[in-house]
Amino acid sequence: MQIRRAKKDEVDAVADLIVRTKRLNNEFDPLFAVVPDVKARAEKHVLASIGAPDKLVLIAAEGTKVVGVLQAERRERTFYEPHEEGFITDFYILPEYRRKALGNDMILQASAELKKMGAQIIVADVPALNEIANHFYTKRGFRSLTNIVGKSP
Amino acid sequence: MLKPKEDSSKKALRYSRFYGGKVTVAPKVPVRSLEDFSIWYTPGVAAVSRLIESDPEMSFEYTGRWNTVAVVTDGSRVLGLGNIGPEGALPVMEGKALIYNYLGGVNAIPLPARVKTEDELISFVKALEPSLGGVNLEDIESPKCFDVLERLRAEMKIPVWHDDQQGTAGVTLAALFNALELTDRRLRGSKIVLFGAGAANIAAERLLVKAGANPRDLIVLDSKGILHPEREDIDKLLLRNRWKHDIALRTNGERVSGGLKEALDGADALVAAAGQGPEMIKPDQISVMNKRAITFFLANPVPEMLPKAAHEAGAEIVATGRSDYPNQVNNSLLFPAIFRGALDVRARTITDRMVIEAAKQLAEFARGKGISKNYILPTMVQWEFYPRVAATVGQAAVREGVARKKLSSKESLSVATRTIEHSRKVMDSLRRNGIILDPPE
Repeated sequence: MQIRRAKKDEVDAVADLIVRTKRLNNEFDPLFAVVPDVKARAEKHVLASIGAPDKLVLIAAEGTKVVGVLQAERRERTFYEPHEEGFITDFYILPEYRRKALGNDMILQASAELKKMGAQIIVADVPALNEIANHFYTKRGFRSLTNIVGKSP
Repeated sequence: MLKPKEDSSKKALRYSRFYGGKVTVAPKVPVRSLEDFSIWYTPGVAAVSRLIESDPEMSFEYTGRWNTVAVVTDGSRVLGLGNIGPEGALPVMEGKALIYNYLGGVNAIPLPARVKTEDELISFVKALEPSLGGVNLEDIESPKCFDVLERLRAEMKIPVWHDDQQGTAGVTLAALFNALELTDRRLRGSKIVLFGAGAANIAAERLLVKAGANPRDLIVLDSKGILHPEREDIDKLLLRNRWKHDIALRTNGERVSGGLKEALDGADALVAAAGQGPEMIKPDQISVMNKRAITFFLANPVPEMLPKAAHEAGAEIVATGRSDYPNQVNNSLLFPAIFRGALDVRARTITDRMVIEAAKQLAEFARGKGISKNYILPTMVQWEFYPRVAATVGQAAVREGVARKKLSSKESLSVATRTIEHSRKVMDSLRRNGIILDPPE
């Protein structure tokens, strides 16, 4: 298994996994209903992120098969110290590759790369009700920082 | 022809009204005079209560607890009737209790409960534990039934059994053992398709693997097609039905995707527990199976495919859930014996190994009578297999370390035979003496 940055010719496979993440989020709240052209949007987003200086698109690949993806970006924290954060927006591993420490390896590598990009802390965005994801992060030393609340107007 | 006989429905209505229920609590101690109540009740009974208070395990020896099983349901998925509520489920639970009594000598009490949530059902059943030797969960919707069974098995110290899972899966396994034997196959290496991912087939998958099947050779389908790790809804399954999710990960080694035809291509056996037929499964789906195909159509009252059509499409062995066709895969072949054996050794649980041993014994009994493509399982009238299966279960419980009372094989067989015979004699006697009347014409 190889963990490395995604290449542009892997956009389709990476976007598929991003779509799976978004659909999974929808299981936790109807406000995460995915748009009909989610795949096209995901492709566009991934394509723009690959190679961008403040973005990270990390994949886990078994041969030519993309089995996991972690998308993150460096963000400025205008009013807080530390001032720079590495923000994980999407993280998905195909089910049959879970429970094999791959997630842990991807987080470690992403943290190292985000640190090189200037990040002083690592944060991740997960649905509040996704207990599995929240447990994954807290087990690795992450703690809850903000609680985004939402409703229909 | 494929609907329940009109006659039996009419009779059920008429007779149920006539008898006002199918089971009753009857005394088992003599009342020689009213003075005996000072033994069976106060003040004498206090000594028994004090003894049990000091050692609650004695409740298995000094009361009827050892032989008492509650038949519990929330009425959420009753037979083919759906969610008909606890009152609607009561006649069915009474019927189950009657079978327990007549075929297994088990004192079974029908107990449908007005509960809505999983937690309520679990609390209800747990609260009954001091009165019971075991619990039979019945007709509870999926996937609630999986969680309820798993939690109760973990939290209670008496056997908790869900017949729609373990019972059906156990009899299916017994039928498969003999069908494989007849077609010169072994469980290991046979490609088996489980069509329908409800209570029966989810448990069947687990039992098959524990009995020796290679999970990579199993393919399980639900209403959306073949389960595999990259199915669109796989994450939804992780959250909503983790049993199906886990099956998707561990089975289907060749990662076949699609529908039933793709799954059956080159398969040796099909176990369908998917829904009402008779044309749910088509001949062209069966015809792609291997030669000498084994096909089980377990939906009741209408099997997913009719035996004649299956044979014409190439199936060699066909089983259904119905008594009017050969090879009836019927839970009643196992559950009375499994509980008889478990209760006789005061088992704390019923393990999968106990069920597999029971299935092997059931299959062996049929082999002793001479199996053929139209006889892969005994029928209920050959009742002598019940004590034998019960003794096998009791011995398996002892080996598994879950028996409170360590009977020898001979003792297990003797106790089971005596208890089941007693139950049949009681029925004969009650009928002969006109206490149980023949039904009205």
